[in-house]
Amino acid sequence: MLEAFLSSSIGMATPILLAALGELLVEESGIINIGIEGAMLCGAFFALTVAYFSGSTILGLGAGMAAGLAINTILAVLVINLAVNQVVAGTALDIFALGVTGVFYRKFFGITGKAFIVKLIPRLRLGRLTDIPILGGALFHHNMLVYLAFAFVPITGYLLWRTRYGLSLRAAGERPEAADSLGLDVYRLRWQALLVAGLLTGLGGAYLTLAYAGTFVENISAGRGYVALAVVILGRWKPWGLAAASILFGAAMALQFGLQALGTTIPYQIFLALPYALTLAVLAAVGGQAASPSALGEPYRRL
Amino acid sequence: MLAARNITKRFGATLALDRVDFEAHPGEIHALIGENGAGKTTLMNIIAGRLRPDGGDALLDGFALRAGSARAALGSGIAAVNQSPMLFERMTWEENLAFGGFAGDRFELAAVASEARTLAEGLGFALPPARSTIEERSMAERVRLEVLRALSFTPRVLMLDEPTGVLGPSELAAFLDLLRRLRAEGRVIVLITHKLAEALAVADRITVLRGGRVVARTGATQTNASELARAMIGDLPPKLTVAPKSVGNTIALAIRNVTLHRDGHRVLDQVSLALRAGEIAGLAGVDGNGQSELVEVLAGVLRPDSGEVRGTEMDRAELTVIPENRDLVGLILDMTLWENVVLSRPLREQTTHRGWLDRARARDLCAQLLRRFQIRAPGPETLAAALSGGNRQRLAVARALASGPKVIVAHNICRGLDLAGAAEVHQTLANFAAAGGAVLLISSDLDELLETCGRLLVISAGRVRETDLNERSAEKLGMLIAGNWT
Amino acid sequence: MILSSLARAVAAILLAGVILAGVLLALGASPAGVFMALAQGAFGNWYALTDTVVRSTPLIFTGLAISISFSGALWNIGADGQLVVGALAAGAIGPQLEACPKPLAIAIILIAGALGGAAWGGTCGWLRAHRDTNEVISTIMMNFVAAQLLSWSVHGPLIEASRAYPSSTPIAESAHMYVFFPPSRVNLGIVIAIVLAIACWLLLFKTDVGFQLRAMGRNRRAATFFGIPIARLTVTILALSGALAGIGGAVQVSAITHRLYEKMSPGWGFEAIAVALIARLNPLGIVASALLFGALDNGSQAMQRAQGVSAELVQVIQALVIMILLAFDTPAVAQLWSALGGSKVAAPSAISEIPNA
Repeated sequence: MLEAFLSSSIGMATPILLAALGELLVEESGIINIGIEGAMLCGAFFALTVAYFSGSTILGLGAGMAAGLAINTILAVLVINLAVNQVVAGTALDIFALGVTGVFYRKFFGITGKAFIVKLIPRLRLGRLTDIPILGGALFHHNMLVYLAFAFVPITGYLLWRTRYGLSLRAAGERPEAADSLGLDVYRLRWQALLVAGLLTGLGGAYLTLAYAGTFVENISAGRGYVALAVVILGRWKPWGLAAASILFGAAMALQFGLQALGTTIPYQIFLALPYALTLAVLAAVGGQAASPSALGEPYRRL
Repeated sequence: MLAARNITKRFGATLALDRVDFEAHPGEIHALIGENGAGKTTLMNIIAGRLRPDGGDALLDGFALRAGSARAALGSGIAAVNQSPMLFERMTWEENLAFGGFAGDRFELAAVASEARTLAEGLGFALPPARSTIEERSMAERVRLEVLRALSFTPRVLMLDEPTGVLGPSELAAFLDLLRRLRAEGRVIVLITHKLAEALAVADRITVLRGGRVVARTGATQTNASELARAMIGDLPPKLTVAPKSVGNTIALAIRNVTLHRDGHRVLDQVSLALRAGEIAGLAGVDGNGQSELVEVLAGVLRPDSGEVRGTEMDRAELTVIPENRDLVGLILDMTLWENVVLSRPLREQTTHRGWLDRARARDLCAQLLRRFQIRAPGPETLAAALSGGNRQRLAVARALASGPKVIVAHNICRGLDLAGAAEVHQTLANFAAAGGAVLLISSDLDELLETCGRLLVISAGRVRETDLNERSAEKLGMLIAGNWT
Repeated sequence: MILSSLARAVAAILLAGVILAGVLLALGASPAGVFMALAQGAFGNWYALTDTVVRSTPLIFTGLAISISFSGALWNIGADGQLVVGALAAGAIGPQLEACPKPLAIAIILIAGALGGAAWGGTCGWLRAHRDTNEVISTIMMNFVAAQLLSWSVHGPLIEASRAYPSSTPIAESAHMYVFFPPSRVNLGIVIAIVLAIACWLLLFKTDVGFQLRAMGRNRRAATFFGIPIARLTVTILALSGALAGIGGAVQVSAITHRLYEKMSPGWGFEAIAVALIARLNPLGIVASALLFGALDNGSQAMQRAQGVSAELVQVIQALVIMILLAFDTPAVAQLWSALGGSKVAAPSAISEIPNA
């Protein structure tokens, strides 16, 4: 029981973590990406579609990443080159994603109601590690994407704080005019952050359809992208903080199934609402955004 | 040898630089002087590759530099230090210096720190404690760090834009010595300043810019301050006509023991000050010693932890504040002139009735102010952004006077104004005082205060102190500003 | 000024249309056919026309909500949730109003909607003012919570007597909104919406509070300096914004659905962003732009039947319109516009230039 719950938590945390890590890079460079939800949704949809029609999971994953990349590219043009309001642009892309996935869903799958399912990405057994009671099943019996996501945590931290590239990226988010005067290309750094985030978020979306649900339903991302935004704040813009916050939300989502299985009389809607209410409560408790990059959200135009 | 040929630059409708030619040689300190808005900073930014000129080139030893590329300029050995240090506040000083030329391409903060230490010792600088962030550093330290970063590129050309503005007089002497030492190393030093005394003290040659054009080139020994001043503004500096000082005994503003803490620091420490009707008192100090917080307390935006502020009638409406940072805080550039005028609460109260805003009345009020203060603008419905800097300042001052206050508190209001504009503002304030008002002029410009104020106070680290007549020399005041209160 | 705003709106719609035509061709559908079907579905006959009005009504309410909050640089992305909670309050109290005279019942139901929405929005306002919680995230989270609250209500406490279907007990007859020209569904709601639009316009441009709101939206620092009470205004603005959306929800229940269902909003809260932006946040303009988007929504059903293109296409249109409008307000495009002979664009739009923080 406990094992299933812990395992679920980590599994559910994975798409959020992937998106949040991408968002961390983006925010450190100075941009706030509300369109993260749209990128995840498109990633989920196109991963499934390609995997279904091609029969190849790898192609599906690739398609998911490409879809996320495409959405973020549109955002990049809007908020970097045209320097428009980031919140509104991001929201537009969320609406765009809903529309695009809806239209293409009907086009590819019709209204037949036929169940189109793909085989889930298999979980890996890690030999003796997996056999450890409780923790083994919880931690060491996941599909490869989970391990990949958590591996990215220290990698992101190293990139941001121990490399020159990371320093430059943070400079772009701290004070773009100063970065510019030092010869850094703020536009290019921000583009790079958004593109990488697009790949990561698209992968997170692909996880939802290829490693979790095995199919696509309308709005399958269900706000996980937005939760990722909160995770960045709660994690105080530090990779391990993000990982912890993601697991917290993964647990809230896993709770739905756990408690339902227990057969309580508590209405299921409470569990569905729990992750979002929890996000809000924790954000309220933790308070300010004082740890955020100074120039976050401010459009920057090169002189 | 550094040369700029035929440089032209436009910002919208404004011609900032008009076919400017400029040259500086190795082993010389060349002062580029001019008033605010003459184009000095723009010229420096073009040479440093931060701005692209509309015409002309910058050349180093005869080779044209790539326009608009800061990286190319740095690569060619041109380093520039800004007027307000361009450092990353939240990062540590080591990280900030890592953007310089220390430790080559390796990213090792320890190596950066040790190389920086070597260089700093050679220059007589002290470095901040290890891994401390810029946020906590004083302005003087920040200037030094930025100079250090510039020097780490071993630049052949070093340009400094008004570096001494934030230095107290004691630090100034050390700084000028540093420049002489750098000159001795064969570098080209370009010093941008509007302070004639400094330019004459340390420069070899001087170029004067006025209105985007070069109007004079001379050797430092061949000229003097009044000649330079005349070149800078095209005429003798206007003399302030101050009415006979009839400072009464009525206390217009009493600040008693105001203390304020922020983020755990004490930013205002038992500040006490009594301002009398008819006087212009100056509060001198380097930016960042509590002036902004004091201004916010007086404006009613911040509440002090203890102490009080009282007017004669204990009515806040009789005190108006003109904040520094006119474009960011004083005005809302996206709004019309009349809307900016009614930002001031007393004026808004005059133009609203039971919650309804009387636009016609507000427009009239604004039109009156435009006429009375000769503000050049098409009308009350014009956007504030369309006004020139000088006219915006006129509007800010006009708005402050319009509500008929007894006390005006002005913070760094002459920043970015040319001499004529500044003189006009001072004259307006002097007239206000002569008519019985009280003025508290808070400024980091000591010259401005010495010229206009009858009474001088000094602020340092949140504490305020009166000065008496025999402390009114630049040196003495400098020490007080630096915090040496014995 | 009005003319140039109109021209800008028309240009944005035309450009969106062009892009859409391209997308449709790629999908193998006929652009001409689609546009015809849209127009037919929106205006083709009397019923279509009245239905367009009906579908536009909730967009006016949510559009006004957006206008009020965005004008203060408060990014309320939660109009959907606020509308839902308003509907919920209306649907909960509606069945109790049997004994009330009609005008009173309608008034009560609208007030219930306003209070529900105000509570929902005001909470986020309070969180922003006192806990520095990013209102984008908080309002979005509240959308999800509202949806679950509604779902639980119609499955649980409010479920209608026969328990056959997840919907609530129908509201009392007396709480039904007055309908004009039955059997069309055009009702008093549109009049209430227009009245509120006028009220919002007056608020924004003719009152002291409106001035403070706009100043805060344009430049928070300056507003703070001049003593504008930012914290209090934040809560007020988001509560008011929520109330407007909530009234929209109540009107839906009172006039159209007469009861609560699992899903009460097909995304009006997001669509409202496009509606508000195209009208440059001007409440009066929002009435017109809501009619436009209402027409699109109405026509999309017909389009789906006739051309087999998913009705979700209108969301793509909404998104394109927003993005085009954002792009239109950048200096580069403004210069292009002036060069083409358009009137000098007055100011950078509030949307483009206001920083997020």
